[in-house]
Amino acid sequence: MSLKGFIIRRTIYIIPVMLGITLMNFTLINVSPGDPVIVRLGLIQCDRDDCYNLAYNTEAIEMGLLDRDLYTVPWFNRYISFVNDLLHFDLGDSWYYTQAGEGIPISQIISERAVYTIVLNVLSFFFSLLLATAIGVVSATRQNSFWDRSLTFAMLLGYSMPLFWLAKLLMLLSFQLFNFTGVANKDAFKKPLFLNPNFYKYLILPTLALTLGGLVFMARLVRSQLLEILRQDYITTAKAKGLDNRAVIYKHAFRNGLLPIVTIIGNSLPGLLAGSVMIESVFGWPGLGTVFLEGALFRDYPMMMATNTIFPLLFLVARLLTDITYVFIDPRIKY
Amino acid sequence: MATAEQEQIGEFLLDEKTLREIETMKGAGQWSIVWRRIRKDKMGMLGLYIVLFLILMAFASWILLGFDNWLTHQGALLGDPSNPASLNNLYVELWLPGMPADSPLVLFQHPRHHFPELAKLPPSFEHPFGTDGVGHDMVSRIFFGATVSLALGFIGQMTTVIIGTFLGSIAGFYGGIIDEVLQRVIEILYSMPGFILMIFIIVLFEDVKIPGGRYAVVVIFFSLIGWGGTALIVRSNFFSLKHQDFVEAERALGASDMRIIFKHILPNSLAPLIIIVTLGIANTIFLFAALAFFGFGDPNAVSWGDDLNKWQNDLLYYPWMPMFPALFIFFTVLGFNLLGDALRDALDPRLKD
Repeated sequence: MSLKGFIIRRTIYIIPVMLGITLMNFTLINVSPGDPVIVRLGLIQCDRDDCYNLAYNTEAIEMGLLDRDLYTVPWFNRYISFVNDLLHFDLGDSWYYTQAGEGIPISQIISERAVYTIVLNVLSFFFSLLLATAIGVVSATRQNSFWDRSLTFAMLLGYSMPLFWLAKLLMLLSFQLFNFTGVANKDAFKKPLFLNPNFYKYLILPTLALTLGGLVFMARLVRSQLLEILRQDYITTAKAKGLDNRAVIYKHAFRNGLLPIVTIIGNSLPGLLAGSVMIESVFGWPGLGTVFLEGALFRDYPMMMATNTIFPLLFLVARLLTDITYVFIDPRIKY
Repeated sequence: MATAEQEQIGEFLLDEKTLREIETMKGAGQWSIVWRRIRKDKMGMLGLYIVLFLILMAFASWILLGFDNWLTHQGALLGDPSNPASLNNLYVELWLPGMPADSPLVLFQHPRHHFPELAKLPPSFEHPFGTDGVGHDMVSRIFFGATVSLALGFIGQMTTVIIGTFLGSIAGFYGGIIDEVLQRVIEILYSMPGFILMIFIIVLFEDVKIPGGRYAVVVIFFSLIGWGGTALIVRSNFFSLKHQDFVEAERALGASDMRIIFKHILPNSLAPLIIIVTLGIANTIFLFAALAFFGFGDPNAVSWGDDLNKWQNDLLYYPWMPMFPALFIFFTVLGFNLLGDALRDALDPRLKD
């Protein structure tokens, strides 16, 4: 089988999983107590019952719960139309984010906000990977030295520190030192975004927090993987040949240690995404995480449905990329 | 040549240290060997002490708060539980010899008892962790918050592990269609970031009225969606064990499937399960604290996460208010992580760095 065939097969594999996920979300919304129409209507002012009933029926028809003749639409039909909308990138209108009384289309909100999340995550993922590699190599090559012990201990402390609290502590520290809390405000996001110096100023603390969060997790991995490999016979052979340490570590040990590291990082992406939600919320960073959390706090059902479809999709795509990276890293892998 | 230091066993030459270890391990059961290994691990012992301390604290606070009427009746607590105005009511106090009888040293206040005039006091002798924004003593809040915070982690993790073990052993033992279905379900559950899925569920189900309040709903759903990891590990263990000779022998003796699963294969997968539980409790406590921190906890509960949520915005000017709950969450997670790492090294030395 060719590489192309493998990629196509793995891509198609995402479809049933996504169907399962949407079905689960849909079922959860349907079995949950409370009437979404009542949630949607909120505190509507009505003197008489029929005024309320009229508003209720209009809203229910609009939400697709009742058809034009006020019969309940079976859940299966609603699920089909939901998936159909999804395939047309129509995620519905938000209930919480409104403009002139009308809900903003969720696909519009997401395409506007995605850039913030992507900038934050890509930057901190890159930094944490780099630092984790450095720390892992330092610890593993000098096992049980002072540096190894203190780095491992620091990683353990960081690993046990709740990420949101780490962010809060960074905020406190920066407030004490520079009188700057790093909570994003309006002038950080003036367009053009990438020419705005304030944007970078407010990017520092969230990136730092998220980097630390990913770092403590990855450095442990890199260290234990490298230690495992440094014990192998071919490393002894390489050393016996008279290669210098640098060549042994980077050419022989590190490349072989990469595979399990890539696997675990790929599989831990949901955790990293959740971390990004926390950091964004603490620093008021207006990415997808903040949108999701605020939507959830104000019971914005369509928004929650949308984010709960998008985050798993992102994860599945990331795992697909992981699997493809495998093939390039390890020539032994048969696809 | 065998000397006092070295002894030839088969073709292996063993040094003195290994020999001594073999000598001490001789005749010892698996668990006493594990215990010896943990005792040698300083960080593991630190973790064990932290965990034991926290469990004691949680139990003590649960008994004090849950049975305060009974304890007062027995004379162990002073005051009148039915009268909220009583000065001695629901306090844990300490009389040292020579102290006046009417002004004892107050160790813990009732966690819901607050004094508006004492709000926002920094840490002092009377209030070692300070007081919070409405006048609760932080020491008391933290002492009594241990019950909910730890119990949530324990109960949540234990139920996921029980569900995961059961489903994983059935799937691993029978294989076939059950295994296929289970794998697909796990695939779906695994693709959802747990934190985000939990928020989704909490918001949808926050109106459910069941005994135990909002946290009961959270724990139930947590165990319904969190069993995937355990099930996968148990399943792979079963795959590697089910064709072993001792299983075949048991089958030849006519043992039922259930007996083979629960009496013979499962005890052999106990080591990974213990590691999952210990490290999992840390993650679960962290998850529930995170949920509470972002406002998806139960604002009426006395727990570290909810206190953290309430006072998180006071961090810059009244740092002690959110600092101490956060510190205790940190210590709990740290303790369970240290203990879990030590247990992993002790139970399965092959995994040791």
